[in-house]
Amino acid sequence: MKYKLINQILIIISIISISIFSAKSLSTKTRNINILMPAPFADSTKVLVKEFNELNRGNIHINVTRGPRETESVSDLGISSLLLGKSTFDVILMDVTWLPKYAAAGWLTPIDYWFSKEDKSELVEGAATGNDYEGNLYRWPLVADIGLLYWRTDLMNNPPTTPDELIRISKELQENGKIKYGYVWQGRQYEGLSCVFLEVLNGFGGKWIEGTEIGLNTPQSKEASEWLLQLIKEGISPKAVTNFSEPEALQSFKDGDAAFMRNWPYAWTELNSSSSRVQGKVGVTTMVAKDGYQPTSTLGSWGFSITSDSTHPDEDAKAIKFLTSPSSQKYLFKSYGYTPTSNEIFNNKELNKSFPILKSLRAALSVTKARPKTPLYAQISDVLQRELSSILTEQKGIEESLSDAEDNTQKILLSAGKI
Amino acid sequence: MIILLLLPAIVLIILIFCVPLIRYLWLSLHASSVVTGLEALPNYGANWFRLINDDRFWQDALQTSRFATLSVSLEIVLAFAIALLLDQRFRARGSIRVISLLPWALPTTVMALGWRWIFNSPYGPIDQLLILFNSNIESSNFLSNPDIAWITTVVADVWKTTPFVALILLAGLQTIPNDLYEAFRLEGGTKRQAIFRITIPLLKPYFLISIIFRLAQAFGVFDLIQVMTGGGPAGSTESLAMYAYINAMRFLDFGYSSTIMIASFILLVAAGTISFLLINFFRKVIY
Amino acid sequence: MTELNRRNTTILLLILWSITPLIWQLYTSFCSPEALISPFENIAKRWTLDNYRQVFQADPPFWRYLVNSSLVGIYTTFITLLISIPAAYSLVKLPRRIANVSKLVLTSVALFPYVLLFLALLEFARSLNLGNNLLALSIPYSGLSLPLAILLISSAIKDLPADLEEAAKIDGLNLWQRFRWILVPLIAPACASTAIIVFLFSWNEYPIALTWISKDELLTLPVAIARLAGSSVYSVPYGAYAAATVIGSIPLIIIMIIFQKQIVSGLTQGAVKG
Repeated sequence: MKYKLINQILIIISIISISIFSAKSLSTKTRNINILMPAPFADSTKVLVKEFNELNRGNIHINVTRGPRETESVSDLGISSLLLGKSTFDVILMDVTWLPKYAAAGWLTPIDYWFSKEDKSELVEGAATGNDYEGNLYRWPLVADIGLLYWRTDLMNNPPTTPDELIRISKELQENGKIKYGYVWQGRQYEGLSCVFLEVLNGFGGKWIEGTEIGLNTPQSKEASEWLLQLIKEGISPKAVTNFSEPEALQSFKDGDAAFMRNWPYAWTELNSSSSRVQGKVGVTTMVAKDGYQPTSTLGSWGFSITSDSTHPDEDAKAIKFLTSPSSQKYLFKSYGYTPTSNEIFNNKELNKSFPILKSLRAALSVTKARPKTPLYAQISDVLQRELSSILTEQKGIEESLSDAEDNTQKILLSAGKI
Repeated sequence: MIILLLLPAIVLIILIFCVPLIRYLWLSLHASSVVTGLEALPNYGANWFRLINDDRFWQDALQTSRFATLSVSLEIVLAFAIALLLDQRFRARGSIRVISLLPWALPTTVMALGWRWIFNSPYGPIDQLLILFNSNIESSNFLSNPDIAWITTVVADVWKTTPFVALILLAGLQTIPNDLYEAFRLEGGTKRQAIFRITIPLLKPYFLISIIFRLAQAFGVFDLIQVMTGGGPAGSTESLAMYAYINAMRFLDFGYSSTIMIASFILLVAAGTISFLLINFFRKVIY
Repeated sequence: MTELNRRNTTILLLILWSITPLIWQLYTSFCSPEALISPFENIAKRWTLDNYRQVFQADPPFWRYLVNSSLVGIYTTFITLLISIPAAYSLVKLPRRIANVSKLVLTSVALFPYVLLFLALLEFARSLNLGNNLLALSIPYSGLSLPLAILLISSAIKDLPADLEEAAKIDGLNLWQRFRWILVPLIAPACASTAIIVFLFSWNEYPIALTWISKDELLTLPVAIARLAGSSVYSVPYGAYAAATVIGSIPLIIIMIIFQKQIVSGLTQGAVKG
């Protein structure tokens, strides 16, 4: 008797759940656009999405899927939905490094049809790169992200411009007991470490990959690695920096524990919020570089792509245009500190007056450095991250690590026929 | 007729377990990655050649074995102690059994997140306690030190699976008749001697099955590592399953990912056979 | 006396070892972000319910994942029992030699680290269009649970007196009737233990759910937990994580308390007979 009852309950439950799901899919008269965004972006675009949905009531409706916080996990989610087929997502907000891989896998629709040459010429330097693959446009930028050096205006008059200077100032401050740590950055084994290294490497005059040449086993690269290791060994950076990603670095800088921090533009708003202990005491500049070399900022822009599984790309493009319009950019910049992508905003006098950071951002944008553009980027960067992490945690010597990094990178490129 | 009843089970098991292995074998002989546009093209063993020369694969194989060996040995020892304890009669034994089984019942990802917080540096409780007792101490950096990070994953794994092993051993303990102990005591043996002379020898099959089961599970460790450390620092905690996962889902190299999975399977069977032979060998030598 | 004390201390240690991490999560879940960074300092605003509010106000709300996990668990348990009871029955009736071989095969399959299957299973999901479907997700889960379930139930059937079925046969009951009115009621306890173990497995499963489900509102609890994001977006959101883990643990703790006996007997049966 008992079991009969359980069986019946089970049947009822399955019928109910099936009917709920089917009812949901039948009642879609309006075009639904599913957009996958990393959690921070999903939160910051909430108002814009709502506005769009009200404007297009009955025709188009944007559903935002709030992805994980970590870039890598968002990519995992996007890939798994695309691999499953009949992707859940019509539009994906993509990091600049994913594009070649997704495009090569045939998962994206070219968007040249919806975005004209004039549209492109409106993009600011830095935001205009990294949106195409093999001659087709696949992505439209929402925010230009760039690596910046944050410094404490209450502890020094001018920020350092060279690596040696950064160490000198840090040591002075630490010795005088004014600050616990000199410099916090992203040292964990993940994409952020590649970004950090790219900046330092360029600052020392080196290159990661240029054309078919790999520059990891070079004197410059060695110097750059030595500098990063020195920061940890001499206590300028906390030991735990080898497990820091952006949030940990920000947390430490926000608590007033460090004189310098490497982070993305978003940190600005957070640092100047009321919960911050360094509110109003923060300046922004480009990364340090040795005398004679240009400082470099890693380019890390985010943009929208349309998946090839989407059945209504026209509506998708309309949504993308709305979310990336100058007025949206202005809103995102003002409320969340997102770096705008169009010249119009950077030239706006009023904005420049009330937000002096805009000038620093533009300066940084003009010295951005893109990471290698290849569908194999994830592997290549992974190799670099592993070896750098071994260096920073002193598992392996610098020379051994760098030569391994170069060898393995070469193997990957060779086995794919890319050299 | 009787066979018909077995049929759905056979079909499902073949579908879920055998077909994938055959598919992997086939894929491991093909290039199927983002570079080939996700098409499978025969590449005549290039994947296997790459695997043999892949330091990362061998490092992960070593790490996985190290993880499995240490956590299974700790689990067996701890579980044996717990089983001996729970075998005795005392008040509230039932509730204590429930409490000790809790870690096993919770999803791995849930508690992996918890352990990540516990070992967090510098805000986690262990670090804070260290600082509280000795404010001069550098923070512990459990998760960022490659020499220690893998041990934290062992701790989390031992915490989670010891109750399960304890339960199996407890079941074994309860099959041992009390008269045996009684007789041993009358002959003048102490309790401690009884454990080594009676309990452990009689429990051998249970030890064996727990060891085999846990070794196989620990060899496929994935959830725990992915959530706790993501494989870092310096790749020191990456397991074979994670490497295969990363190759498939992050690098979109299905051919190589399949190769890793087949190779892991072969390694596991080899390790199992060797340990089985070793155990047999020692048994013969000792007795 | 000393021995009793020693035993009590060990019991206490065991309890501490088992639940301290859980208690710490519970404590963390009620802490404000400021309290988290300095747990031993005096802070005015230490306690908060914000973490829970956040978890429940998320979109989709957190209870949704609990429902999803429960649904998958129920489907899986149901399918597994449906297939494994007849299979176990026929295994017992088979000639001894074949039965022993099948048992060996089942045992080794049950030991297989199933995480290695995810890629091929993902391909299944794609080619048969089974992704993002909770009922479909329970197919691989059932397949994975089958070996253990068959072993557990067949050992229960074997323990039944052999003449019982003979008597029923003589009374003129056909196979289905014998099954329904004699066998199933008698092995109900073993089925219950198996059911709970299968339910726990599918509730906690991670890698396959991770690759088969990409829709937010269909995520199961373990994947949702791993994906959860938090409070002030850019600081480490452990308070919210902790709140989610606490909520995610409660149903299991309740299950453990209610079905303690079945779980223990199921696991021990598996060990004794396997």
